[in-house]
Amino acid sequence: MNDASLILEDWRAWHPGRKPAHDPRLSVEERPAAARVAPMLRRRLNNLGRAVCDMLMALDPGAECVLVHASRHGDSERTLEMLYALNEDVPLSPARFGMAVHNAMIGVHSIASGNRRSLQAIAASGAEVSALFSEALGYLMEGEKQVVVVFSDAPIPPRFADHAPGPATTTAVAMRLAMRAAIAGEQSVTALGADESACHEYRPPQPDDVIAWLLGETPLVCPIRRRVWTMAS
Amino acid sequence: MADALELELKHLIIDTLELEDVTPEDIDREEPLFVEGLGLDSIDALELGLALQKTYGIKLEADSEESRRHFANLKSLAALVEERRVD
Repeated sequence: MNDASLILEDWRAWHPGRKPAHDPRLSVEERPAAARVAPMLRRRLNNLGRAVCDMLMALDPGAECVLVHASRHGDSERTLEMLYALNEDVPLSPARFGMAVHNAMIGVHSIASGNRRSLQAIAASGAEVSALFSEALGYLMEGEKQVVVVFSDAPIPPRFADHAPGPATTTAVAMRLAMRAAIAGEQSVTALGADESACHEYRPPQPDDVIAWLLGETPLVCPIRRRVWTMAS
Repeated sequence: MADALELELKHLIIDTLELEDVTPEDIDREEPLFVEGLGLDSIDALELGLALQKTYGIKLEADSEESRRHFANLKSLAALVEERRVD
């Protein structure tokens, strides 16, 4: 695994009601506006989807970047509840089915923004942060100037909660990454190996853990990959 | 009677397709529902087909010329429901 440093050019996050909320890159509003998404597209987005579109529009206003979206469970509310409809022989809603696929959110964003670059949607069983940094590194080493990665998740429906670990909150975070010499004031991110003993106290990172790390509150550790990310200016 | 059915269908369209900011008055009975006019898309067509089945017991072929004709505008949709409803 290459430990090359990435430049964190900018980030956005959405965590409704989070405190403190003084950082302008952090949105705490309950219902994101998604103002740049046309109403006919926006109607299919839930609040998380609206937040993701807002963040991607802010980080990639020219719709030029490769985008990588990670979510451990995706829109489990739609996906898992559809199984019950199938079991009861109730016809599935085509619109809900369409939005239940893992790449639906960035798909809507790509239509709204006109971004026709590579768009990728991944799930990594709790190693989403590690996967996002690895994917970004791959694209950057292949010559991309910037890559935007976004990580979003929501609690899984209560009747499945006992069977799968999941986030307790609905949150999302996005970062624009580059690989070049840092200019003054920029943060560089480096991945380091972490001792197994040091990993025990950490859960698989969720979007709100990344937000806490970006705000300088906590370290960012992926126990599954035994990696820790450090930020330095 | 036709007016009442058309209003009912307008509400069905708005509710089923979760049309933000659209009121019944915004839907013209002669304007196209799809692509132009109201601007609905292919997923909306499937969703609307399902709603017609659930509400009025009308089954349509998903991609037939006949279905396209029925889905042209609100007027043609109301005519379809009037003729084929089984409730």
